[in-house]
Amino acid sequence: MPTDVAQHATPDLASRLAAIVGARRVLARPSELRSYESDGLPGYHARPALAVFPGTRDETIAVVRLLAELDAPFVARGAGTGLSGGALADGTVLLGLHRLTRIISIDADDARAVVEPGVVNASLSRAAASFGLHYAPDPSSQTACTIGGNVAENAGGPHCLKYGVTLNHVLAVTVLLPSGEVVTLGNADGERDGYDLLGAFIGSEGCFGIALDVTVRLARNPQAVRTLLADFSSVNSAAHAVSSIIASGIIPAAMEMMDGPTIQAVEASIYAAGYPVDAAAILLIELDGAAAGIDDDATMVDSFCRDAGARGVRIAADPAERARLWQGRKKAFGAMGRIAPNLVVQDAVVPRTKLPAILAEIQRIAELHRVRVCNVFHAGDGNLHPNIGYDATSADETERVHRAMAAIMQACIDAGGTITGEHGIGLDKLPYMDALFTPTTLGAMCALREVFDPGRRSNPGKVVPVHSCREWFAAPAARAGGAA
Amino acid sequence: MSDDTAALAARVREAHATGTALRITGAGHWLGAGRPCRADVSLPLASHTGIVEYEPGDLTMTVRAGTPLDALRDVARGEGQWLPLDPFGHPGGTIGATIATASSGPLSAAFGTPRDHVLGCEFITGTGDVVRAGGRVVKNVAGFDLVRLVTGSWGTLGAITEVSMRLRALPEVDRTLALETTAGEARRWLRASEYTPLAAEMISAGLATDMGIGTRDTLLLRFGGNRALVDSAGASAGALASGRDVESSVWDELRTREPASAAVVRLSTSPSQVAALWDRVASIVERAGGHAHATVQRGIVRCMFPVQGDDADELARLRGIVGALLTLGSSVVERLPSSLWAAMVPPAASDALSKGVRHAFDPGRILNPGILGELS
Repeated sequence: MPTDVAQHATPDLASRLAAIVGARRVLARPSELRSYESDGLPGYHARPALAVFPGTRDETIAVVRLLAELDAPFVARGAGTGLSGGALADGTVLLGLHRLTRIISIDADDARAVVEPGVVNASLSRAAASFGLHYAPDPSSQTACTIGGNVAENAGGPHCLKYGVTLNHVLAVTVLLPSGEVVTLGNADGERDGYDLLGAFIGSEGCFGIALDVTVRLARNPQAVRTLLADFSSVNSAAHAVSSIIASGIIPAAMEMMDGPTIQAVEASIYAAGYPVDAAAILLIELDGAAAGIDDDATMVDSFCRDAGARGVRIAADPAERARLWQGRKKAFGAMGRIAPNLVVQDAVVPRTKLPAILAEIQRIAELHRVRVCNVFHAGDGNLHPNIGYDATSADETERVHRAMAAIMQACIDAGGTITGEHGIGLDKLPYMDALFTPTTLGAMCALREVFDPGRRSNPGKVVPVHSCREWFAAPAARAGGAA
Repeated sequence: MSDDTAALAARVREAHATGTALRITGAGHWLGAGRPCRADVSLPLASHTGIVEYEPGDLTMTVRAGTPLDALRDVARGEGQWLPLDPFGHPGGTIGATIATASSGPLSAAFGTPRDHVLGCEFITGTGDVVRAGGRVVKNVAGFDLVRLVTGSWGTLGAITEVSMRLRALPEVDRTLALETTAGEARRWLRASEYTPLAAEMISAGLATDMGIGTRDTLLLRFGGNRALVDSAGASAGALASGRDVESSVWDELRTREPASAAVVRLSTSPSQVAALWDRVASIVERAGGHAHATVQRGIVRCMFPVQGDDADELARLRGIVGALLTLGSSVVERLPSSLWAAMVPPAASDALSKGVRHAFDPGRILNPGILGELS
């Protein structure tokens, strides 16, 4: 195990880091470190001992090698938009990568790009636009979040329904291991036999090392797009419409649901999108691809929605209306800030046929704990985001929110689902890992992490509960003798 | 965990304790591929079959690893669904072997490889521990990704006993066209086209002739979707070359085209270089009396040629051909006489991280030892 971190946060470490990156790029005073005490999930606070911001690949390597030499733990951070507390550095060194913003190359012929980890998701798509290409994964934070962070979290987004998540779009990564060694995972120019270490690295939440550069696949901009807004008088009928569309074989680029409370929050905010405020739920459904046949699919989707009980379905008339409909969705979390001073953004997945039942169960749990849940989520994937606004200054309300969230997580697990579809485990979901995975499976995860980071110095204490690792490494013989 | 899995795990635990090397076997169709696997006894999974859970509305299915692909296909088809994964070889190959070897075929152009289909799996590590990785839902980032790790690991990290995967609805219209054209023209058309085919496979002239779909290099294009889309895509492909409709059974035929005794090598490059690779490969393969086909958008050219016996002359001939092919790009050798394997195929998984992973999951190296060419 790494040595106590506090002893490294000495003026000596600060000055050695400053010798690499420059004094302005090392923060050590508590007042300066305050901005780095939390990430996109404001419920958690932890102050790093130091923050260091390398500006180049070489500086990043030098910083990590120095930390390795000192056996000092560190936490890599991109834009800090993560929603699981994964980028918190509790008394350790915070390694900010947001200055590594170079788009190294865009290859239009092979539809791929090589970028540094600090490149913002949306700016890659902007840079690729002149080639008629874009980067498909589109988390709601895409105007701020970085590709490095997306790789760490295996980020998704609304359009992952058709195009897949980060894993499906990354061809290769040059990884700086916690030891300071640099390795290439994946192969952009062909297949190779061997273990899919790239697949293991993507979504490892900063525990396996740092991405120095990422080779991503770019997607062609579709020839035609149709964005439909369907308006329902019950959440249940909206969920049934989702099932019919999925079963039909039409794969929308995105299929998002927002419930009444979310719609009202959005419409009362500066992101008002023209959603029907009296609807119990709306579906935002986007079809894209070749122009031929797209209107036939739109007609089918329209009739599936109406058959399920939609009060109305309309198609965005022009790109401006389409952008407005999407902005309301993507800024829904922000709009909820109007309702309450604090917000828990949750993330869980259930099998798609369980959507109607789980939404009813979430409502029941909310009533039981007297909290107000707003649902806005990727319905086509069964990826829920039940959010609860509350006032953190009230201990009683905070406690009720936590209880409701725990009950919702358990309900999703009981329904055959999982505790996160795209936000990651980080710190926030650690307590649920034991309910989802067997001790043996958690032990195997620890064993994998140990290969990439034998000292467990890279983002310590995240993703897998510490006790699981202790048990796995303490008793291999006992394990081999007993049942799994 | 089922009783069967528990029994298999007990066997692996015992093998670990006694240092007995195990060869994990499914239907056994690829066992003649020549891979240098040392094993004392086999761990058969072929009878570990059956569907554990299938909820058509979720478009997900969980099956035991020994379930044959064709059995799985029949069940899904009954619900208007499919697993769009068409690895080369016998249609009775098992899902477990397909995932363990990360095998795919022409449909990978649109749907990806096993890593893109598998949602979760159960596997038995080399210490007999039963790991249940991933889940049964289509989106899941909980914990480190043991599913991707085990997919394509050739059994060396664990014997896969159960697989959950994502299915798709069968397309309303499924149409295949054969067009006589060059690899370069095919690639140009695919890059510029608004239409995304389900598959786009170049077939060498000799293979096209054998299959009765053409007499020159031929592009097989498969489109799926609604009628208007597929008609329009077909008309657009007409600008590339005059094509004709062929039965979709042509794809099953392509999967089983390799000779009973054959060498098979897959070469790959970036998509923009695939036509150049195709041209270089073609002359070598023709001379060897073999065939080639290419998954154009993925930059993969697969070459196969018959092997006549195992005398010294034949082995020398093969050595020459395979040696020439391996210089042309990234390569994966699918089949080769075992006597040539060690000399010609560089070991996979020989880097420090891969060795570490192997040690973590199979410290006694009892699972398919040697199958990735690793030194033991």
